[in-house]
Amino acid sequence: MFKINNDQASAVLWLALGTLIALASTRYGLGTLDSPGTGFMPFLAGIAITLFAFIGLVHATLKQREGIGWKPTMQGRFWKKALIVLVALFAYVLILKPLGFFLGTALFIGFLLRAVQPQRWSVVVAGAIATAFGAFGIFEIWLKAQLPRGPWGF
Amino acid sequence: MDFFHSVVMGFQVALQPVNLSFCFVGVLIGTLVGVLPGLGPVAAISLLLPTTFHVAPVSAIIMLAGIYYGAMYGGSTTSILVNIPGEAASVVTCLDGYQMARKGRAGPALGIAAFGSFIAGTIGVIGLMLIAPPLAEMALKFGPPEYFSLMILGLTVLTFLASGPMWKALLMAAFGLFLGSMGMDTMTGATRFTFGVIELTDGVGLVPVVMGLFGVSEVLLNVEQSMDRTIFETKIKNLLPTLKDWADSFWAIIRGTVIGFFLGVLPGGGAVISSFVSYAVEKRVSKHPEKFGTGVIQGVAGPESANNAATGGAFIPLLTLGIPANSVMAILLGALMIHGMQPGPLLVKEQPGLFWGVVTSMYLGNAMLLVLNLPLIGLWVKILKVPYPILFPLILLFCLIGAYSLNNSLIEVLIMVIFGVIGYLFKKFDYEAAPLVLALVLGPMLEAALRRSLLLSAGDPLIFLTRPISAVLMLVALFLLCYPLVPWLRKKRAVLPKGEAND
Repeated sequence: MFKINNDQASAVLWLALGTLIALASTRYGLGTLDSPGTGFMPFLAGIAITLFAFIGLVHATLKQREGIGWKPTMQGRFWKKALIVLVALFAYVLILKPLGFFLGTALFIGFLLRAVQPQRWSVVVAGAIATAFGAFGIFEIWLKAQLPRGPWGF
Repeated sequence: MDFFHSVVMGFQVALQPVNLSFCFVGVLIGTLVGVLPGLGPVAAISLLLPTTFHVAPVSAIIMLAGIYYGAMYGGSTTSILVNIPGEAASVVTCLDGYQMARKGRAGPALGIAAFGSFIAGTIGVIGLMLIAPPLAEMALKFGPPEYFSLMILGLTVLTFLASGPMWKALLMAAFGLFLGSMGMDTMTGATRFTFGVIELTDGVGLVPVVMGLFGVSEVLLNVEQSMDRTIFETKIKNLLPTLKDWADSFWAIIRGTVIGFFLGVLPGGGAVISSFVSYAVEKRVSKHPEKFGTGVIQGVAGPESANNAATGGAFIPLLTLGIPANSVMAILLGALMIHGMQPGPLLVKEQPGLFWGVVTSMYLGNAMLLVLNLPLIGLWVKILKVPYPILFPLILLFCLIGAYSLNNSLIEVLIMVIFGVIGYLFKKFDYEAAPLVLALVLGPMLEAALRRSLLLSAGDPLIFLTRPISAVLMLVALFLLCYPLVPWLRKKRAVLPKGEAND
């Protein structure tokens, strides 16, 4: 079975991205050398990404022929914990405006304390409320940052 | 005479109670982030940047600079006591520092790290004071082609010194340049790659990108590993090194200082690289290189001095040329610009209070760190005992609030989370983020310099090779790019351990 290695896989993705950037840049106008246009710099960056990705692909293919194959990136890792954290981060972005900073933060901290490496409920509840209070006090009251307020005004 | 007058003026600024307190807060927070694994100076400075918006620029920069060099002090504590480097510049300190702790010599290891850091930090600041003003004078002769070539050299140096294959580092730099080109074209006013998102008109923000790449991704990587860590239980005594310890360490401290300072000045160099180089040099000059790694005090004194001296050196290109030498300096550049300052050759002349105030505050900060670190080691050890499952939600929350409070925008938070995922994938596939960050910051400046140069020369790219300073810088960059292609030279290229070349 034909197996690519990690660098080959990533280089192919970069190759596609670089080409896409270079092509998309032409829409903004490249201009001329004595008067470069808006798309000039991103076009150069796209070309550079494509070029280095191609060099990487050749390099990685030579390595593959030397016997360097796919290196597992998730083996022996608790990757589900990273996924839980990620879901919590996206959820926080979604709930922050409708629920407000205080409640949103308390739920976010409480969820992470309980879901990633489960803490006792007393620690979860106390930690969530104390952190939300502390962060509100430091950032909203002391540093005058304008944190999102929920329907109940905090 | 002028020099002494400037220094006195600097102390007058730095000794103002408000600036002294910001300096103290900066070094205290710096030490704390240095102690805590998973939160480095880059993330910490990004995080605290929005909190400085309401204070005077000089106070803000004094505090942010304090975080940087404070982190270098704090990083050694975890390396020595837990064998986990608090930040990347202290990785090499683990090798002999932890072994010294296991032999019951944690005290002298922590002591020499603190004293070495103090001596090197102070000498680094003196070097900064002596070199920066004349360099700024010289830089006044720089035009767009020279700036362009210098930035190309800086990016090349960073990619050259990065860990792993050079194509990956160059690719990261190119991607950073693309990110830097997003948003409004400053020469025509047209927008590009904004995808209809208003927040992207000003480009992709440095702070959310950095906090995502270095803060969020680090947490994601840490939570998928075992989160238990043990602190080596030892009674820390005799923090003051003995006369023999001093005799053994003296030249290591001096060598580390010189190496650190000059590597710090180099765009793309920095604290991490200088600590590795210092360790390699100490091993090479030692009569007993085989003992390195078993608890040799020179293995702690040299690298710890080097990483502190590098912090002073790194300010030189930022304050004189407006070019950041590493990721931390890139954020400080952003901070200066947010506060209405334009780092560059004119800064020393136009804002002498800020320049000399910040520089002299580093003297005071280094002295504060020496006083802080030794008596507070017990407290840092206690903080280290806070379990990571409790610590990481707080780190994430600080990142989230930091990103949000930049523009009170959830889009910035979303950008940070997305770059957290990207940073996580970069680490899985062995791509280093430092060249990306430097290119992101330099991108707009590089583009402006390139386009102005081409306008100047009526489209002739040879302008970069016909002007002497520009030509020399370009040739050096070209040499570094071709270096790995020559097989017998390639073997000599030092390769750092994965992920350690970012400041």
